Amino acid sequence: MKNIETTLKKIFKLAKGVQCEVLAERRDSALTRFADNVISQNVASSSLSFSVRLQDGGRSAKLSLNQADDGSLKRAVASGLEILKKQKKDPDLLPLAGPKPLPAGRDLYDRGTAELSPVFRAERAAELARACRKAGQVACGTVDNGTSELVIANNLGLFARWRDSFITHSVTVTDRDGSGWAEQPSHSVSNIDFKRLNETARAKAAASRRPRDPKPGRYTVVLEPQAAADLITYMSAYSFGGQFYNEGRSFVCGKLGKRVLSPLLTIEDDFLGAAPGLPFDFEGQPRSRLTLVENGVLKTIVHDRKTAKKAKAAPTGHALPQPSYFGPLAINLSVKPGSDSLSDLIKGTERGILVTQFHYTNMLKAQTVEMTGMTRNGTFMIENGKVAYPIKNMRFTQSMVEAFANIEAVGDRAEMVAGWGGIACPAMRLSGFNFSSATKF
Amino acid sequence: MFKLAAKAIEVANKHKVDFGDIRVVEERNQVLAVKNGEIGALTDETTLGYGIRVLYKGAWGFASGREMTERAVADTALKAIAIAKASRLLMSGRVRLAHEPAYHDFWQTPFLKDPFAVPVQAKLDILFSLDKTLRGNRKIKVAEAEMTFMREHQWHMTTEGSRIEQVLLNSGAAITATAVENGDSQLRGYPCSHGGQTLGGGWEIIESMDLAAHAERVRDEAVALLKAPVCPAGVKDLIISGNQMALQIHESVGHASELDRVLGYEESYAGSSFATTEKLGHFRYGSPIVNLVADATLPGGLATAGYDDDGVKAQRWHIVKGGILSGYMTNREFCGRIGRDRSWGCCRADGYSNIPITRICNLSLMPGNSSTEELIAGIKDGVMMENNVSWSIDQKRLNFQFGCEAGWEIKNGRKGRLLKNPRYQGITPEFWGSCDGIAGPQEWRLWGVANCGKGQPGQRAMMCHGSSPARFRGVKVGMHG
Repeated sequence: MKNIETTLKKIFKLAKGVQCEVLAERRDSALTRFADNVISQNVASSSLSFSVRLQDGGRSAKLSLNQADDGSLKRAVASGLEILKKQKKDPDLLPLAGPKPLPAGRDLYDRGTAELSPVFRAERAAELARACRKAGQVACGTVDNGTSELVIANNLGLFARWRDSFITHSVTVTDRDGSGWAEQPSHSVSNIDFKRLNETARAKAAASRRPRDPKPGRYTVVLEPQAAADLITYMSAYSFGGQFYNEGRSFVCGKLGKRVLSPLLTIEDDFLGAAPGLPFDFEGQPRSRLTLVENGVLKTIVHDRKTAKKAKAAPTGHALPQPSYFGPLAINLSVKPGSDSLSDLIKGTERGILVTQFHYTNMLKAQTVEMTGMTRNGTFMIENGKVAYPIKNMRFTQSMVEAFANIEAVGDRAEMVAGWGGIACPAMRLSGFNFSSATKF
Repeated sequence: MFKLAAKAIEVANKHKVDFGDIRVVEERNQVLAVKNGEIGALTDETTLGYGIRVLYKGAWGFASGREMTERAVADTALKAIAIAKASRLLMSGRVRLAHEPAYHDFWQTPFLKDPFAVPVQAKLDILFSLDKTLRGNRKIKVAEAEMTFMREHQWHMTTEGSRIEQVLLNSGAAITATAVENGDSQLRGYPCSHGGQTLGGGWEIIESMDLAAHAERVRDEAVALLKAPVCPAGVKDLIISGNQMALQIHESVGHASELDRVLGYEESYAGSSFATTEKLGHFRYGSPIVNLVADATLPGGLATAGYDDDGVKAQRWHIVKGGILSGYMTNREFCGRIGRDRSWGCCRADGYSNIPITRICNLSLMPGNSSTEELIAGIKDGVMMENNVSWSIDQKRLNFQFGCEAGWEIKNGRKGRLLKNPRYQGITPEFWGSCDGIAGPQEWRLWGVANCGKGQPGQRAMMCHGSSPARFRGVKVGMHG
C-alpha cells in the first residue's frame, strides 16, 4: 500500500495541474487446475497496474501501465498530456468526482486464505481425485486463491481503498456418460465445505449416467441456484443499468414503479448484503444499497455520474472504470429467498426438468432479454414430484422477461455464485420454459 | 531482455529441471472509440513482465512477475519450481515434451505503416466523422466507431537453447449503429460488430476497410431492420456470409479440434469435444467439399507468428480434409497422444502473466468453385445470413445456435426481402455434412476473432478464419423464445 501511495503522489505531481485520477490494482493469485485425476496446470501470478485518467477542460486521455519506475511514469503521463493538448473539447465531459464520505464495507480479507500454499491446493485436488479413481470417476476442477487490493484516488482529494481475499473450489466430475458439478466462492477458506462440494458433484455425476433423449418443447423447470443466477445476472446487466435505460434498450424503460416481473421476485444490490463487496464504485463514489425489483415491481435502476446526469437522477455509485462502454452495473446482487426447499420445488412439479447449471449462455436480444444456452452437468426429468431419470442436455431459447414473470416458487436458501461481481441466488421453479433443441449427450 | 531472461534459465538449470522457459513480454494496446458524439474510449496501455514455466521431475509449475530485476526473476523461477514440486502430489506419469530444435531467430508481423505513429487526433477525427454519419437518422440511438491497435514484443528463452524474439502487430476497426423504435432495437455493423475486424498488420488495415464508404449503408440498414419481418421459423437452406462463417468455423471446428479439450483437460470450464482421437483420419466431419486448413504462416492472420510459445516453428496443416477429420491443434505436451513426434505449434499465452495453453491457430475454410449468385440460384426456399451477433455451443461442440445481424429471404433462386433476428441451429457434423456449395477464391476473405476466451485463469487469444460464403441444406432457422 505504501508503494501505491508513493506512486500516486508522483503521478499527481507529473499531471501538472490537470485533473488526474488513478486506479491502482494489485493482485496476487494462484490456481491449481486438475483434470483426468491429475494436476494439469499449477500457476501463480503477481500484478500491479496503474490506470491514469487525465482531464482538462473537456479533454480526456487514459493511460495504463504496470511499471512504476520514475522513467515509465514520466513517459506515460507526458504522452497523456500531449494527447490532451491536441484534442478537441467535449462540452459534455464530466469533471472528475470530488471526495465524498464513504461507507464502511465488510471485512472480506483473510490473510490465511490469501496465502494458501500450492501444497494445500494440491492436497484438496488429490482428496477428490483419490475418491474418484476408486469409483471409476474422473475429477476435474480448480482450487484458486489470492488477494486483491484496489485504490482509487484523484488530485481533487478523493481517496478510496479496498482489499479482499478470495478462494473458489470448483469441481466437475465425469462418470462414464454422466457428469456433475459443484462450486463455492468465498473470501475465506473457512467457509468452503470441500467435502460437501466433492460429494455433491460425484453423486450428481453418478445419478446422471445413461441419460435418455428428451423432447424439445415448453417445460416447467426447477433451476438450481447456479442456473437461476446465470440468467438473473444477464437480465440485471442488460436491463437495470442507466445506460441501457437511457438509450431505450432495456425492457424496463419507462416502467419505474410498475410490475415488470413475477410478484415472487425481489432483487437487491447491496454491498453489505448476501453478495458483499466494494463499498464504493470505480469513480470512488459511495455505493448505494438498493432494491432493484420488489415483489416484481421495478423500484430503481443503477447509475454512474454520467448516466444519472442524462436521466436527471441521482448517481447510485455503480460506475465501472471510466469511460465505460457498458455503463453502470450492479455487482452485489442478491435474490430474496422464498419458503420452499429444493426438495419442495421438485415435489411441486408434476412434469418438468431439473437444471444443475447452464453452459455458454448468451444474449440474443437485449431488449427482451431473449437468451440461449445449454444445460450442463446434471439435467433430470421430474415426474410426479420426483426426479425420474437423467436426460441429455438441452438448448433453451427464451425471453427472461417472460421466464421471470412465470415464477411458481422460490427456494429458501440463497447460495453465493460467482458472477459479474457475485450474486446470492436461491433455486426457483418457473413454468413454460422453452427448450428449442437437444444435443447428443 | 535476453540478459534478464537468462537468469531464469540459470536458476532452472541449477535445479535440474526437465524443461524451463521464460517469456518476457512487452505489450502496448491503444483503444479509441467515439460513441454518440462523445469519446467512448481513449486508452493507451503498456505492460511489461515475464512468465516462467518449469517442468520438474515431470510436473508443471508456472509463476509470473513484473519486477524487472535479476533478483525478482530468480525468485519467480524458484516460485515456479516450488509449485511444480506441489504438482507432483497428484500425477499419473511424467509429462514429456515432443522434440523441437532450438532456434535463434527474430520474427515480426509485416506492416506498411506503424499505427502508433498516426496521431491520436487524426484517428479521432476519422471516428467523429463516422459517428456523425451513423447518427444521421433520429432512430439511431447508439452509434459507435472504434479502432484498436496492439503490439506485443516477446523474448522467449528455453533451457533447450532457444532464443526467439518476435514483434506481433495487429490493427482493427469497426462502425456499428443501433436503431431503436417501439420496444425493438436492431444492430448493424461494418465490417462486423463485437469489436470489429482486426488483422495482423499496421495502419494500412484501417485504410483498406474504407469505413466512410459504408457508414450510410450501415445506418440505413439498421433502421430498415426495425421494419423488416422477423426471420420465419422452419427448416430451410442457408447461405452464411460475412464474419458469421468465421464464428461457425471457430466454434464448431476450431475449439472442437484443440487436443487438450479432446483429451479432457478443459472439462472443468469450456468443456471437451466430440472429435475424439479414435476418429482421427476417418471420421466424416463434413461433406467432401469441406476442407479446413490451420495455418500459422497465413499473411494477415492474428495467430500468425514465427513460433508459438512452446518454441515450435509455424506450420500449415489440415484439420478437415475432403470432409474427414485429419488433424488437431496441438502443443508439445499432448501431441504424442496422437502418435506425433512433433507439435503442430498451437501453444500460446495471453500476455506475460499466463501459462501457454493450446489455442486455435488461424483456421480457414478453403474456397470452392461457386459464387454467391450461383449459391442463391440453387435455393428454392432459404435464408442468407450475415455477421454474427450471438453464439452458443454445447460443451462437446455439437449443438450450436447462432444469431446474425441481418438475413435475406431466398425464394426460387432469388434474394428477396430483408429479415430481422435471423438465427439458426445445428449439430456440428450434420451441419458441415450438409454443405454443398462454397463460393470461390474471388469472394474468400480473412476475418479476425480478437476475443477468444479459454482456460482457468481466463486467457484471451486472437486468430483469424478465412472463408467465402457457403451453402448448407436443410437447416433449422428462426427459433424465438
